[in-house]
Amino acid sequence: MKKNYIVLGLFAISSAYGFSQPVVNPFPKKKVPKAAIQVVYSQYLQDGNHSAITGGIGTEKLQVYAPEIIMGIGSDSLNSYSIDAGVDVISSASMDNIDFVVSSASRVSKRAYLSVDYDRTMRKDRNTTLGAKAYASLESAYNSFGGAISYNHSSKDQSTAFSGEFEAYFDDLRWGRYNGVSPLQLVYPSELRYYKWFQAYLRQSYNFNISLQQTVNKRMVLAILPGISYQHGLLSTPYHRVYFIDGSERVENLPPDRWKIPLGIQLNSFIGDRYIIRGYYRFYWDDFGIIANTISLDVGIRLLPQLTLTPSVRLYTQTAARYFRPYGKADSAQTYYTSDYDLSAFNAIELALEANLAAIDKSMHRIDFSNVSLRYSFYKRTDGLYAHMISTIFNLNAYKESQKNKFDGGF
Amino acid sequence: MPELLDLCRTCTRMISLGMFLIAIAQISCHTVKPYQRAYLNDAAMQTGKRPIEKLSSNAHNYREGASGGGKAKGGGGCGCN
Repeated sequence: MKKNYIVLGLFAISSAYGFSQPVVNPFPKKKVPKAAIQVVYSQYLQDGNHSAITGGIGTEKLQVYAPEIIMGIGSDSLNSYSIDAGVDVISSASMDNIDFVVSSASRVSKRAYLSVDYDRTMRKDRNTTLGAKAYASLESAYNSFGGAISYNHSSKDQSTAFSGEFEAYFDDLRWGRYNGVSPLQLVYPSELRYYKWFQAYLRQSYNFNISLQQTVNKRMVLAILPGISYQHGLLSTPYHRVYFIDGSERVENLPPDRWKIPLGIQLNSFIGDRYIIRGYYRFYWDDFGIIANTISLDVGIRLLPQLTLTPSVRLYTQTAARYFRPYGKADSAQTYYTSDYDLSAFNAIELALEANLAAIDKSMHRIDFSNVSLRYSFYKRTDGLYAHMISTIFNLNAYKESQKNKFDGGF
Repeated sequence: MPELLDLCRTCTRMISLGMFLIAIAQISCHTVKPYQRAYLNDAAMQTGKRPIEKLSSNAHNYREGASGGGKAKGGGGCGCN
């Protein structure tokens, strides 16, 4: 009994004078990504000498200034949303030649668009995701509403992935929404407004795209990208002119239906630790008679862990649509005709250089800068059209602080 | 009718080419364990269209007769071809 009291006493003394570890907050605050934000600015400068508005001749000078913001929100591990909104400001010298009533106003046009996406990962099968999208675009002479549904599934070992997406767009080619004109009407060239060339003013487009992705090895992935598209309705552009051999003039007229079948193949590979090669080839066929081949090659060079430069080249060739004739060469006996050089036979080359800089300092602020990308490309067609394109994207992450148990998720 | 036959021949060739490539990939591919996916998980290795390429892709839709094939939508939603 005495021994027990001695042990208890020693224990009491040692606990009074012993030193414990400093008190650590068992619930340290951690940053939880709340939203991924992309701020985008793009600029497009074009010139050429085959404007379809003037029947295949005339200036194609065009500038587009395009700010855009994309926000992706992952509300939890199963649901995610994204919103994409932007405005294109379009300045076109050839638009003056449509000859609106107030001609100077036609030089600058605006297009606003909004897209909302929702993705849901299946609770029982985390390798499957369903998605839905709604889209709207408003422009002075073109309005569009559309939507899409998608399905994504990857194998358990992530080596194979399949995705399919079905899109539908419902477009209205009448002019006047921005100007408060009523009733809305198709815009024909000024000298051709004596006649109602088209009864239809709507266009429907349906696209079905598939992606089959296969991991080849630790450094290489292959994707097959087939698709099929169908368009119906007014496929002509009502303010495009066509001049005929006999000296007459009409509005462009294209068939009311069009099938398109593209097949793309992509191969991405790491070469060593610094080089990423992305190769892409596409074969395209449609029932307008256009057959096109596209090949592109990007080589990403990781100069530093945070800095990557990517030069790229793209080659494109297409045959002419069977309805295309150059300026003044169309046959008035034909049912369908166009002098739009976008549907002519040509080859094109695009050279681009992209720089990507990732952030070094990961601070504890509410909004972190993640990385910035800048891309310049020069595009040239053999018919003389050329364009300069610049895009820049700032990637930001917005965080919220949340208290999480220090034993939750690791050390 | 000739256009339909032409379309069928083109579809058959495309499907055959795609299946051939998938078969080759399946034969030659290796299983990659999760801890070996460092290169594959790099953002630069993602297939399909990258956000920085959107302007170029839209320009191709407007200025070329072809569209779709993983890099851009097939048609509609814009005053493009």
